[in-house]
Amino acid sequence: MEKSSNWPKNKIKALVNDEEGILDAQIYNDEELYQLELERVFSRSWILMGHDSHIPNAGDFLNTYIGEDPVLVVRQKDNSIRVFLNQCRHRGMKLSRDDSGNARAFVCSYHGWAHDIAGNLVDVPFEKQSHCDRLDKSEWSPLQARVDTYRGLIFANWDQEAPELDDYLSDAKPYIDVMFNRSEAGTVAIGGIQKWVIPTNWKFAAEQFCSDMYHAGTMSHLSGVAAGLPEGVGLNDIEIPSAGNQFRAKWGGHGTGYYVDEPGLLQAIMGPIITEYVTASPQAEKASERLGSKMFGQRMMGQHMTIFPTCSFLPGINTIRTWHPRGPNEIEVWAWIVVDADAPDDIKEEFRKQNIRTFSAGGVFEQDDGENWIEVQKVFKGNKARKTKFNAQMGLGDSVTKHPDFPGRIGDVYSEDAARGMYQHWLRMMTEPNWETLKP
Amino acid sequence: MPFNINITDIIASPTTDIALQHEVEQFYYREALLLDNIRYEDWFALLDDDIHYYMPIRRNRMQRRGKLRSTDLAEYTNEHEFAHFDDDKTTMQGRLTKLLSDYSWSENPASRTRHTVSNVLISAGDEANTYNVCSSFFVYRNRLETQVDIFAGERHDLLRRSDNNLGFKIAKRTLLLDQSTILSNNISIFF
Repeated sequence: MEKSSNWPKNKIKALVNDEEGILDAQIYNDEELYQLELERVFSRSWILMGHDSHIPNAGDFLNTYIGEDPVLVVRQKDNSIRVFLNQCRHRGMKLSRDDSGNARAFVCSYHGWAHDIAGNLVDVPFEKQSHCDRLDKSEWSPLQARVDTYRGLIFANWDQEAPELDDYLSDAKPYIDVMFNRSEAGTVAIGGIQKWVIPTNWKFAAEQFCSDMYHAGTMSHLSGVAAGLPEGVGLNDIEIPSAGNQFRAKWGGHGTGYYVDEPGLLQAIMGPIITEYVTASPQAEKASERLGSKMFGQRMMGQHMTIFPTCSFLPGINTIRTWHPRGPNEIEVWAWIVVDADAPDDIKEEFRKQNIRTFSAGGVFEQDDGENWIEVQKVFKGNKARKTKFNAQMGLGDSVTKHPDFPGRIGDVYSEDAARGMYQHWLRMMTEPNWETLKP
Repeated sequence: MPFNINITDIIASPTTDIALQHEVEQFYYREALLLDNIRYEDWFALLDDDIHYYMPIRRNRMQRRGKLRSTDLAEYTNEHEFAHFDDDKTTMQGRLTKLLSDYSWSENPASRTRHTVSNVLISAGDEANTYNVCSSFFVYRNRLETQVDIFAGERHDLLRRSDNNLGFKIAKRTLLLDQSTILSNNISIFF
């Protein structure tokens, strides 16, 4: 870990106070902290790349990013997956500029250095004439990342010393399974990744999906709820749910929250067909059996979740996205939709249509998230505003670890314990250089 | 393909009668004025009951001999895939309800927009009194203090003659936006 003169360890440590629930706004807007994040968070964490079904066949590839580093995610002939830097080792040109596709080789369009689908440099034009057998091609292939999958989700990590993905996901796995392990058939991605730019810091987006049911239960999405109400029903006629919980991972900064037995928000987002499918259908009952309880299969509703740092998804709504950082003040959202692989076609179609209607750049819910986040970010231009101390104290000290229904550290649905957990892990990643102290 | 207009056909189609051309263009100018003056309900009334309002996602694709290699690798997402918009009358009504709710933060305060429609090419639709219209749009959005977004693209409309005051209703609108990654924090306006 390179040293930073402006941000020594003790100064970074003063930015987040887990015990008192206080956050310093500089974590969202400081350029040097952001550069440190690229190295200390994004180059050491498991980052969501895509889904197994995005690249089913040998040679299928996806172009995406780890932080700001462009990477190619490629299915191999033995069904394994490689992730490597999309950058030629000769003069740095991208090896592929297709968003996705199928390749037999990746040939650089600058000078023609050719790579196999595993990312090995295999051919250099005029090699004999200009290198006279002096070039060891095995030394000049693009950097490879570690790759692993969990329930069809592909993650990559630059750090050879980082924990295995399974350990990294820690005790958050049962909560991921609510969306990704409902059926023995697994999930598939609906085709198409929607990408858009939001001038905001990545942590606002990550934190909201990690820990913030509060904004949905209060102000942000009132008009989104109104958009899905049947004719003759107004906002005054409905009750905002309040019963539910939040989970803070014991390690890793992951978090989730959900209502229990209160379908109101889910219904407003996904409509009656999907609400029935995920809470009361024969498929939902099968999910309960598979997940070991009716609670995990059918009774958690309107769930939000983030796997630190930038993998966020909404079980039951089934949007999933990576928040790719683009400087302290901007992100690119790369969002897609998953469905149970064995869901009936009309259910898959309903998931597709409702996600387009609600959780997308033009979605009646997500439009307003984009509005909040950019306004927050703009205010940081002020000399005072960029150093404001923020209150993250909801549910401080209230979480328990022996909840009858839910494993792990559990608080109220309108807590911010998961957010504090996310920032506390961020702080550790930013200040602890060694996995010996950092590991789970 | 969800597109209701074939570019080859429309390029080859005979030049439209000048009166019809005038009528359709005048309809678009008036429609744009409604959108740009936040007359949401009046604009919504121009959508026919079977409206399909659709904007596929556009991807970066390498070409071979000026063409895409296979339909699996199409530049546009297909009708079974993700899209920016894929709305019917009910979901458009929901969008209208959102805009009129006072809590629609993404459009309250409202964006200032300017819809410009040009390059209008008309061919007869399959049914009587319907027209397939291909046009270019340019939408400027200015929002709050300093936000500026520019959207350009192609509209493929199916217009149906109507006895409303503007003479037509919109039965289909497919929008081909000239962006892959949307360069805005949201798309909370209509095109």
